[in-house]
Amino acid sequence: MDFKFTEEQQMLRDSIQKFVREHYPADRVGARRKAFRKAPGFAEENWQQFADLGWLGVPFPEELGGIGGDLADVMVVMEELGKGLVVEPYFPTVVLFGSALMLGGNADQQQSLVPQLIEGKLRGTLAYMEEQARYELADVATTATARDGKYLLNGTKSLVLNADSADYLVVSARTGGDRTAREGITLFLVPADAEGVKRVDYPTIDVLRASEVSFENVAVGEDAILGSVGEGLALLEAISQRAILALGAESVGMMEMLYRDTTDYTSQRVQFEKPLAAFQSVKHRIVDMFVQTELTRSLLYRATMEVQGEHEDAPLDVHGLKHMVGKAGRFVGQSAVQLHGGMGQTEELRVGHYFIRLAAIDAQFGDTDYHLGRYTELMPIPEGEPDADLLPF
Amino acid sequence: MDIDYTQEERQFQQQVRGFLDENLPRGNEMWSKRDAWFKSLQAQGGWDVPKWPAEFGGPGWTPVQHYIWDRETAGRSLPPVLPFGQVMLAPILMRYGSKEQQERFLPDIRANKVNWCQGYSEPGAGSDLASLKTRAVLSEDGSKYVVNGTKIWTTMGHMAQWMFCLTRTSSEGPKQEGITFLLINMKTPGITVKPIFTLGGSHHVNQVFFDNVEVPVENRVGEEGKGWTYAKGLLQHERSGIAGISRTLTALSKLKKNARSVRVGDRTLLDDSSYKRKLAETEIELRALEFAELRSLADAQQTGEPGTASSILKLKGTELQQRVQELTIEAAGPYALNAGFKEAGPKFSKMGMMMYLNGRAATVYGGCSEVQKDVIAKRVLGIKD
Ligand SMILES: Cc1cc2nc3c(=O)[nH]c(=O)nc-3n(C[C@H](O)[C@H](O)[C@H](O)COP(=O)(O)OP(=O)(O)OC[C@H]3O[C@@H](n4cnc5c(N)ncnc54)[C@H](O)[C@@H]3O)c2cc1C
Repeated sequence: MDFKFTEEQQMLRDSIQKFVREHYPADRVGARRKAFRKAPGFAEENWQQFADLGWLGVPFPEELGGIGGDLADVMVVMEELGKGLVVEPYFPTVVLFGSALMLGGNADQQQSLVPQLIEGKLRGTLAYMEEQARYELADVATTATARDGKYLLNGTKSLVLNADSADYLVVSARTGGDRTAREGITLFLVPADAEGVKRVDYPTIDVLRASEVSFENVAVGEDAILGSVGEGLALLEAISQRAILALGAESVGMMEMLYRDTTDYTSQRVQFEKPLAAFQSVKHRIVDMFVQTELTRSLLYRATMEVQGEHEDAPLDVHGLKHMVGKAGRFVGQSAVQLHGGMGQTEELRVGHYFIRLAAIDAQFGDTDYHLGRYTELMPIPEGEPDADLLPF
Repeated sequence: MDIDYTQEERQFQQQVRGFLDENLPRGNEMWSKRDAWFKSLQAQGGWDVPKWPAEFGGPGWTPVQHYIWDRETAGRSLPPVLPFGQVMLAPILMRYGSKEQQERFLPDIRANKVNWCQGYSEPGAGSDLASLKTRAVLSEDGSKYVVNGTKIWTTMGHMAQWMFCLTRTSSEGPKQEGITFLLINMKTPGITVKPIFTLGGSHHVNQVFFDNVEVPVENRVGEEGKGWTYAKGLLQHERSGIAGISRTLTALSKLKKNARSVRVGDRTLLDDSSYKRKLAETEIELRALEFAELRSLADAQQTGEPGTASSILKLKGTELQQRVQELTIEAAGPYALNAGFKEAGPKFSKMGMMMYLNGRAATVYGGCSEVQKDVIAKRVLGIKD
């Protein structure tokens, strides 16, 4: 067992922190984020810097121009981007689109797209969610009908992250089965400017960008299929696991900043002739924030290493992680806002932005209740007779 | 980062399993074969005193090996050791005791021959332990201390032959100074032990009274006035044991089996989704805490210090113990009324309520949760009062 970060990971962390200090200074976070409300919602020159510094290549193999990192490396990146409240679309392009290509793509697809992605010349996103689906990956009404060696896509995808700056969309559609059937889902690689693709773009509450994307007789060839026909759900689930790990890392980074900022603020702010942090109810609430953060971090490490090593407990702990991220994230975020008083309600301090982003994360890829339910289905129940020999404590 | 055991660690795990299968006495033999069990542990090279350093005959395990031992033994019932001597006093004697004291006391502690109790708390000194008042006055010829006062909540005080005890030898200066660490023979004239019955009627704890009790000066550990420093190191040993994460995981696993045996209509309690969700929430936190413990072990292995994750172990570990106990009596349903009878109700209900009642103490002793939080705020977060 080994829980150390490698020297490379430490360097990666340092370089992102340096970028954040330069481009996302804490005292300008509010104004900075406001400026990004309009399309494309981030700075192209930052994206190019991500490419130049090698961050876009982190999880991709060296043969494709990447640096051959693993999920722990992505975790480091996401944690630091989270701390910096960075808006560049690393998550949709590298985590969602990148995982779709690496887990489902064939050699041709990978070779034609991944090197460009790594160079910062191509972006993608995942168009999987539909309005009626809530958190069910299998609830897909969009259809893909085979005709003359082509597929025609029809339907509407909702809340597609950064679609307005994406070159490719990975779209889930039905090649068979009823709307909620687990079989019959296929993933397609669709150019964002294909004929029949329409978008309505908008900023989300956490000042990122999303779109409603409709498909009207959008024709794609068989070479656009990612993975196997009809077996797209397993692929979606695998992408979703990686999405949860990445959002978990981002959340843990933010939660750490929240308890630190709250410690600093309440240690400096004097009321009733002493620092607020000297009041025990304030102090203990901050400790609770710290405890929740460390617990979530521990589960994040556990789930990340288990998915990386393809452990049998991986699905269980990923559900547990997203459950905990939602619950602990809400507690930590709310506590930070509360303990900053009036200042906590403003857009001026970064705590409010972390708070909003954590709420947004809970509402993506399944919220805290949804994943508790999924965990409950998978929870191992040992075989054997009831056991009256309870352990004394 | 790597979650897997190394080759050697896996081998060790196999070795532990094989050893337990072969040597661990079961059921009724737990007491009759206890000595043979301790001998077999000793024959492994110090497995009878896992936490002791190699120079004192311990196995010299790495933190991960300790973790493996805990996990492998948690699911099985082991013949009990006497914890106060082996786990709590021994490390102090090894570090601060004289050679004579080590030779005199350690072998009997190791052989589980002598029962020790811990005399720290007093009626007026609980969480604020340093305000203790039991006085020890050095006789004029310097040969003995004369002790007067009282200790309370002394676990096993009625069965112990010896007590390690914090006494006040000076009232000058800060209260942490002027505390002296004495070893007191419980048979000494002037000692009275009175039982205290805790919730559910158990007798584990006592109040101990000292009336001109004479303690030879050679029973003082270390220097006069330095007892607080010695005891503080020891409290850390106590806390690392109290978290009991492996045990709680085992208790939860048993609870699932027991819940499945409880009928609700024509189904079982495990089919009740609200109950099952409570189990799941508890298990998720436990799995997170289990990993926090591993992180802390890994830090200890690499740096010699347990790291920030360790600070939450006692606090969160005791909370989760109590949560599993709550869910156990919920599972017993109407048989939460069981006061130890076996005439009615599911078998596990016989001990369930007792476990729940005794379990409340875990967030009080070894530093109550509120004090733990104060400590984290100060040491980890740097919050000043
Ligand atoms: C079953 C059991 C076994 C024990 N065994 C032993 C033993 O063998 N030897 C021994 O020496 N002692 C033993 N103890 C004593 C134990 O260490 C003390 O009970 C503990 O230190 C708390 O002291 P107290 O009971 O005086 O509670 P108090 O100090 O009076 O505290 C009462 C409550 O007030 C709150 N509180 C206390 N301090 C603070 C604070 N700073 N901030 C906010 N809230 C606070 C907490 O909720 C606490 O539970 C045992 C106790 C129990 C229950």
